[in-house]
Amino acid sequence: MATPTSSTVPNVARSYDALRPKILQRLVETRASLDASLARLDEQAARGQLDAVLERIGNFIATGDLGLHRAFLHTFLAMRAAEAQHSGAVLAMLVAIGDTAADVAQEQATPDSAELTIMLTRVTASTARAVNDLIAEELERRSELLGELRTKEQKALDPA
Amino acid sequence: MTQAAKLSVIRAAGETDVGKVRTNNEDSMIVDPIRGLYVVLDGMGGANAGDVASQTARDAIRQYVLEHRTKHEPKALLESAIQHACQVVWSSAQATRERHGMGTTCVGCLVVDASHAIVAHVGDSRAYLLRGGRLLALTRDHTIVEELVERGLLAAEEAERHPYKNVLSRNLGSKPETKVDVVEVEIKPGDRLMLCSDGLYGYASAEAIQYLLGSGDEPQHVARDLIDLALRGGGGDNVTAIVLEAPAPAPTSTQVVRTSGAVAWWQRRTRFAQVAEERGLLRNPICRGLAREEALDLIAQSLCQAVFHDLEKSTGVNVWTFAQHLAGGWFERDGAWQPLRDLVDVLAISARVVVDEIRAADARLGFLMDIAVSRALVVAELAIGGLLSERLGHVDALLIQVHSAMQETIDASMTVIDEVDTADQFIEQQTVPFMRSTRAPTLDGEVSEALTKALTVARGRTSPRAELVKQILVALEAIANDDTGTNTAAVAAARDIYGVRPVDDTGVMPLFDALDQARVISTAAVHQITASDAVRASVLHALSSALQRLTGASTALLMEAVRPFSERLRDALQTTSELRDDVAAAERKRAGLESKFASTIDQSQPWDKRGTTEW
Repeated sequence: MATPTSSTVPNVARSYDALRPKILQRLVETRASLDASLARLDEQAARGQLDAVLERIGNFIATGDLGLHRAFLHTFLAMRAAEAQHSGAVLAMLVAIGDTAADVAQEQATPDSAELTIMLTRVTASTARAVNDLIAEELERRSELLGELRTKEQKALDPA
Repeated sequence: MTQAAKLSVIRAAGETDVGKVRTNNEDSMIVDPIRGLYVVLDGMGGANAGDVASQTARDAIRQYVLEHRTKHEPKALLESAIQHACQVVWSSAQATRERHGMGTTCVGCLVVDASHAIVAHVGDSRAYLLRGGRLLALTRDHTIVEELVERGLLAAEEAERHPYKNVLSRNLGSKPETKVDVVEVEIKPGDRLMLCSDGLYGYASAEAIQYLLGSGDEPQHVARDLIDLALRGGGGDNVTAIVLEAPAPAPTSTQVVRTSGAVAWWQRRTRFAQVAEERGLLRNPICRGLAREEALDLIAQSLCQAVFHDLEKSTGVNVWTFAQHLAGGWFERDGAWQPLRDLVDVLAISARVVVDEIRAADARLGFLMDIAVSRALVVAELAIGGLLSERLGHVDALLIQVHSAMQETIDASMTVIDEVDTADQFIEQQTVPFMRSTRAPTLDGEVSEALTKALTVARGRTSPRAELVKQILVALEAIANDDTGTNTAAVAAARDIYGVRPVDDTGVMPLFDALDQARVISTAAVHQITASDAVRASVLHALSSALQRLTGASTALLMEAVRPFSERLRDALQTTSELRDDVAAAERKRAGLESKFASTIDQSQPWDKRGTTEW
């Protein structure tokens, strides 16, 4: 899958940093459509959460390190799971954030905006792919645990 | 330009249906493009009073707007019209015994001009705005539960499960007047507004509504499609939808994708299948048992066709359906994750090759197609993610069930069944989902050295009073360099840092705040050291992993600390329940004695002559 490995990454990363306040503002304004839990937050709290995600997207654009990005997504899923948020909803929220960022980039009629738009679209695709991999791994782990528990339960009921 | 002409640029259409369960339609609507008035009403009340209520309110609103439109400002006009309708419905209910208690919800939109509208509502009929592909709710339901959430008296999660979540707190007709919520909406070119009754959003997902509204079809087709969507979802209630559309801005990139882009994609469908085959589509276990042509047709061509239709209509519903069928079918056969991942990757790579060829022929179109096709593939991931999440939820429910059954067995026998459960300390058990540690990256000399430098810089930047942050930065170095493959360093560090904190906000919050500060400071410090990008990236990775393990261990410690309180709470609840039983028994005894006492007293005698020895 595409990850940000282009030779012009520094330029794109700079363009992204310059555009980040605008993207954040758009996300704060439209947070009700991104996710129900964000809709209930006050503006300052929502701004903090969204900016943290934008920062990680920036790191991914700058470094192209999918492992690092995946580690962030892992923690992000864990934190949202601790708040009883459905992992499918977390995926949808991350995709909506990425799409909004790409929309804002596309609206800028600057020389760098086309490349940044494509980069953000690909980052969103990589994010969605990595999140699904993480959910699938978690599903596999818990399915194994379920199998083990069932075996133990069977042994406890029928020691012979 | 006349007012009517200004309004006529807004295109609108409405549809209503009785649904699959009800026998009469209690919904009503107004679609009046001349006056720019659009209203959805959902009546309620026994003995066919629901349809009377909604029709009475509909006629009252229409008449009021017709008579008063030159006398009021638009906002006041719509609000007064709804208030007037409330009075009329209430009067009608009072006049006829069978209609007592009837009422109706109402959501109305008064289009002022091509760029302004007023939206007002009472009850749980809703208004949505679709802008830039995103669906925004313009109204908040007037239900008792929603108002409790708004006042902070009920958590949002509890609200969704609350038995009274559909009980309205406001409607038109139960009282002579009501409170109307009114908002002004700025309409931008290409925006779509939708008014609907709960028969739509109660039987269709927000995603599906969003896709249909964003499809680019004519409003009358969209309204009909929305009704069909609710009917396919069960159609358990009357359903009504009105769709309004502001004229789209002249030539957009969306139009280019929908026309030239879709055609260019379709022309390369054979190429797509060819690349997919070259990339190993036929070797994937999902295609096992299928003939070559069959596999290419069922998978490669189907996706190609789904992307084409979605490009043509600016929607994602076809790719969504394709991915759901593909993944759903595979999961039903107990298929593993990896083959599905490989197959989706093959399809994504094939799509990328086709887009690159389009770009080579036409750079501008290629750019737009790159974005559009990438987004289509993200839609496929979203559909698959939804299925995975559902399965995760199902396995969780089974885990709880099995675990509870085992716990009951243990409680009953008071013997230890599973030595692993008791031998492991809580701290070693995985408790928070997703919070297991990822395998720690092994650090080579250069990375380890850079990590030390970065953390030294970070400690230097830390405020002298932030002792806890410094302590965490020291711990991060030890955790990052822990190559034992276990969580020992993280658990030991968490124990040191957690210390003897009380389990409350003053004890716990500073710890988690300090973890966050340490994250920010250490990440910033990595950018200040002299190192190659690759080393810097490795250091960031190692830091992230270490911080994650430390946070996980701290969270587990916290949960361990909370456990005695949970047990004490459970004991207290048990004691309370027993005390309540004792009080009830004492009450019963007292009532018996009183009754016996009353029967032995001769009420006709003066107080001091009444016998008391009998009881």
